[in-house]
Amino acid sequence: MRKPFSLLVASIAAAACGGDTTSARGDAAAGGTMIVATVGDPVHLLPPLVSDFAGKSVQDLVYDKLAEVGPDLNSIGDAGFTPHLAKSWTWAPDSMSIAFAIDPRARWHDGKPVLAEDVRYAFQAFTDPKLGSPNGPGLANIDSIQVRDSLTAVAWFRKRSPSQFYDVAYQLIPIPRHVYDSLAIDRLQTADAARQIVGSGPFRLVKWEPNVRIEVIADTANYRGRPKLDRVIFSVVPDANVGLTQVLTQQADFVETTPPDQVSSLDSSKVARALPLTSSGYTFAGFNQHAPGSNSAPHPIFGDIRVRRALSMGVDRAAMLRNVFGANGRLGRGPFPMTHAVADSTIRVPAYDTAAAMALLDSAGWRVGPDGMRAKNGQPLRFTMLTPTTSLLRKAYAVLLQEQFRKLGARADVDIVDNQVFTERTTKGAFDMALTSFFTDPGAAGFSQNWGTAGIGGHGQNTLRYSNRAVDALLDSAATSFDPAKTRAFARRAFQQIADDAPAIWLYDVVQVAAINRRLNPGLIRPDGWAVDMANWSVDPARRIDRDRIGLGGATP
Amino acid sequence: MRRLLLARLAQSLIVVAVVTTVSFFVIRLAPGDPFNYASPRVTEQVREQWRHQFGYDQPLVVQFARYLGSVARGRLGYSFSLHQSVADVLKEALPRTLLLTGLSLALSFAIGIAVGVTQAARRGTWFDRITSGVLLLFYSLPDFWAALMILLLFARWIPIFPAGNMVDAMHDYMPPLRAFWDSLRHLVLPVASLTLLTTASIARYQRAAMLETLPSDFVRTARAKGVSERAILWRHALRTALTPMVTLAGLFLPALLGGALFIEKVYAWPGMGYVAANAIAGRDYDLVVATVIVGSLLVVVGNLLADLLHMAIDPRVRA
Amino acid sequence: MRRLVAHPTGRWAIAVIVLLAVSAIVGPWLTSYTGVEQLDIVALKNAPPSWAHPFGTDQYSRDLLARVLRGARISLLVSLLAVTLSIVLGATWGLIAGYFGGVLDTVMMRVIDAFLSIPRVLLLVALMTVLEQVPLWLLVLLLGGTGWFGVSRLVRAETLSAREQPYVEAARALGASHTRILLQHLLPNVAAPLIVAATLSIGNTIVLEAGLSFLGVGAREPTPSWGSVFLGAVESYAGNWWAVLFPGLAIVVTALAFNMLGDALRDVLDPRQVHLAHRLPDSATALPVVQRDPRPTAAV
Repeated sequence: MRKPFSLLVASIAAAACGGDTTSARGDAAAGGTMIVATVGDPVHLLPPLVSDFAGKSVQDLVYDKLAEVGPDLNSIGDAGFTPHLAKSWTWAPDSMSIAFAIDPRARWHDGKPVLAEDVRYAFQAFTDPKLGSPNGPGLANIDSIQVRDSLTAVAWFRKRSPSQFYDVAYQLIPIPRHVYDSLAIDRLQTADAARQIVGSGPFRLVKWEPNVRIEVIADTANYRGRPKLDRVIFSVVPDANVGLTQVLTQQADFVETTPPDQVSSLDSSKVARALPLTSSGYTFAGFNQHAPGSNSAPHPIFGDIRVRRALSMGVDRAAMLRNVFGANGRLGRGPFPMTHAVADSTIRVPAYDTAAAMALLDSAGWRVGPDGMRAKNGQPLRFTMLTPTTSLLRKAYAVLLQEQFRKLGARADVDIVDNQVFTERTTKGAFDMALTSFFTDPGAAGFSQNWGTAGIGGHGQNTLRYSNRAVDALLDSAATSFDPAKTRAFARRAFQQIADDAPAIWLYDVVQVAAINRRLNPGLIRPDGWAVDMANWSVDPARRIDRDRIGLGGATP
Repeated sequence: MRRLLLARLAQSLIVVAVVTTVSFFVIRLAPGDPFNYASPRVTEQVREQWRHQFGYDQPLVVQFARYLGSVARGRLGYSFSLHQSVADVLKEALPRTLLLTGLSLALSFAIGIAVGVTQAARRGTWFDRITSGVLLLFYSLPDFWAALMILLLFARWIPIFPAGNMVDAMHDYMPPLRAFWDSLRHLVLPVASLTLLTTASIARYQRAAMLETLPSDFVRTARAKGVSERAILWRHALRTALTPMVTLAGLFLPALLGGALFIEKVYAWPGMGYVAANAIAGRDYDLVVATVIVGSLLVVVGNLLADLLHMAIDPRVRA
Repeated sequence: MRRLVAHPTGRWAIAVIVLLAVSAIVGPWLTSYTGVEQLDIVALKNAPPSWAHPFGTDQYSRDLLARVLRGARISLLVSLLAVTLSIVLGATWGLIAGYFGGVLDTVMMRVIDAFLSIPRVLLLVALMTVLEQVPLWLLVLLLGGTGWFGVSRLVRAETLSAREQPYVEAARALGASHTRILLQHLLPNVAAPLIVAATLSIGNTIVLEAGLSFLGVGAREPTPSWGSVFLGAVESYAGNWWAVLFPGLAIVVTALAFNMLGDALRDVLDPRQVHLAHRLPDSATALPVVQRDPRPTAAV
């Protein structure tokens, strides 16, 4: 009964937005159910509070942004952005404000229209200190959102910056005021109503069973046309191995991470195949620049740049990469992932040379003792290396590094701790070495958070307490330059300076190989999220299975 | 008798109270708090603000007082990792564990007793010896290893059963009969894993108990009176040998709850063990304390019931 | 001892345990590898069994035979020490409670109840979470310190019945001190079931230690305790049957041997009583003796 009706709606919608060809949707071959095996439940699904990757994947499906960033993730000005909720925008002549015209066809999933006041409400939620949104600091440059009329929202900025447009369009996600404003802002984190999320994206939320399942269904009345799939279900599994098993037995259709050793089993599977995902993360073994627990005293061992460079030179990064990833690894090139817009493959990092490493350690005063381990003034070259239990890759690297250090005469004790402890100790600086992964946002501004002096302490993520004024200035110039070429040049100099200071051993770019059912045709995969183009994912009509034929009907009561 | 009961009840409540208090402080002593997500956006400042907002930066004694106050009003707190009130979480998780452990317990007792009695009937034969050996082997297996092997064997290498979870992702869309079948299929492997080891234990007990009862006077009398061997085994001897089983049942409760921990983790079965393990890892304070309360209540009640039953059945034991 | 050797399963058990002990002590000298060094992380990763590496290599190209042999030392040592600690603690607690009786007994037993109401695994996980990384000696303390509750119940029950014996009364009448009575008269009575419980505990403790490593809270890298060797294999269960089989087999065979020994010992030393000294699905506690008859009677 419902199917013909939805087709009717879809065809009307298709006729109405005939000019919209950004994504071809709403054709008769629509349908299918995709089950995603996910390790870990989102912490929260309301955009101001979305802070983990599981949450971001669901957010990409349920919510729509004012404008979508281009595939190259350019964040300077508005080049490459596609209109979404905002069908057009106008820059003020002095660039201190941008007026966004909301698409009059845009509707929230409960049917009410999307209005400018929703944008203003979202801004309040993102920036209100009582809620403490982790995504608020990204909007620091926005002074206010003004409602000029019901469908025009004007964003006023504190100063001109290359990422002005990106800050509003990409980071400020509108949420429906009429649903939430009866709640006090600080209650949003725990209130039940805040879990019934209402968005305007291609899918709408059906049910969220915490730690078990999240189900979203196609929004057939969507102004951009309905997505090709009927339904996506995120099913929580205990670990990546079980997830892979479920995909191989067709219990699930997609799992984001395949353990590197098992990628080859996908080649021989008739049901699933490997799908490499790009990501914006990179992993390194970082040296704490300060003594543990102190904010000023240099680290007794790693305060000396010779030790850091020697240890960087003394490990065979390529061999470790091969051991852990097989043929699919990407070697770390510096404090950035190669997928980033300002990445640079010409950065020089210390080359693998054990003889030179040993010589450097000798010259730094660390002499080899009778037991093969080095010591200086009675203090042994011994330190702890911290890594979280949740990352199999980092655990593997920890064991490999431990052995490589042992051959150099350094004794590393591996501390495998759970996530809580890892975060706590790295934030407080209570570690010697830590295997850390950073994920970078598009744009150059994020690097100051990770490698700038301002990022030390509570305001950023500079857990190594690395500080170099020259780097600060260069990163700042990169973030405020309007010229992409200049941005890249500044960034390159900053990166090279960081690499020369050797605050970390650059291990690998986070490369994920997903396992996907062969009947699924994925859309565009972007480094900042594999689910951003979910509206275009589809099922091959010739290979449909039972769960694809259910259609949009509701659950059996 | 009544005074004894009341005294035991009071003691049990004290036990629960002490255990609760200890767990309250212990989990807060662990480094971390509910907000230590590994997220690229969450900074220490944000965490501090959340901690302050929910009162986790106050002195422990103050927090404890507040917690006691809210428990007195019937509110067990809020779970950050599951975004629900703790009571709601327990309402869903507890029946799931009881289903799993209840089924396993019933099955293992039924099978275990049957095997034990049969072994006693054929003591000394090759059947007895081989069964003893097999039972000893199962009894010696590490439970997590057994669970993993079973999962690998029947869900990956020979995919007959689903790999983990309680129901299929499409469960809500299945017609009622198919949905029931789906739930059953998901039960098989976890129950089998849990039952395997418990059955071995019980069978061994039962055999020993039977062997001890069979030479007794009353059995000899029954045999002299011409009662069939079968009736002797299954009716007379069994009844007496069942007494330690009763105590066993009560004492198995904490063990089963703990053993279910491994099984629930391996199969992602969303019961109390799974919830408790994740709550500890995520420092979900209120949820941890609540699971401890429920767990110790169950155990204490189980012990009490076992003792009462024991006293009721066996008139010789009136401690 | 003679009876033990004559016992069919007892013989096997002793043979296996002796073999284990020998390999634990001597084994590490038999291989030229230390089990810690990574030989060639590119070429020798996950190598199948061969003449050079009879048990194959693990994901870090470490020789598995060396790791299992060294693991034997660690697992056996940790378990033996932990069980000894449990026995000492449990026997002391139980003797005192059972001997003095009254309010002291009630209080002491309620404390035991409290501890027994928390699943041992959960308790250990919680403690280890608080303590973060745990060195081996602390692991011994934790395992021993959580495994004595059931023993104390067992000892208390035995003491309760033993203290009514005429020779105890006689000793008291002769003016013997409490300590003397406890140690010289009551303790030997308890010895038999205690030894059985201890033997069964060893197998359980080895399994428990492996389980803790499986949960991620066990011995530190690169220490090759059987549990962590097994965990490493499980984390990459890509079909490396040798990495999963050999350490798993080692654990199972050892636990089996100790359990068989325990059974044999019980048959030899204490055939009368129905001891509930068995392992429960997760814990290594020996349960109390459920005396069907608190005062020994003649009939049975």
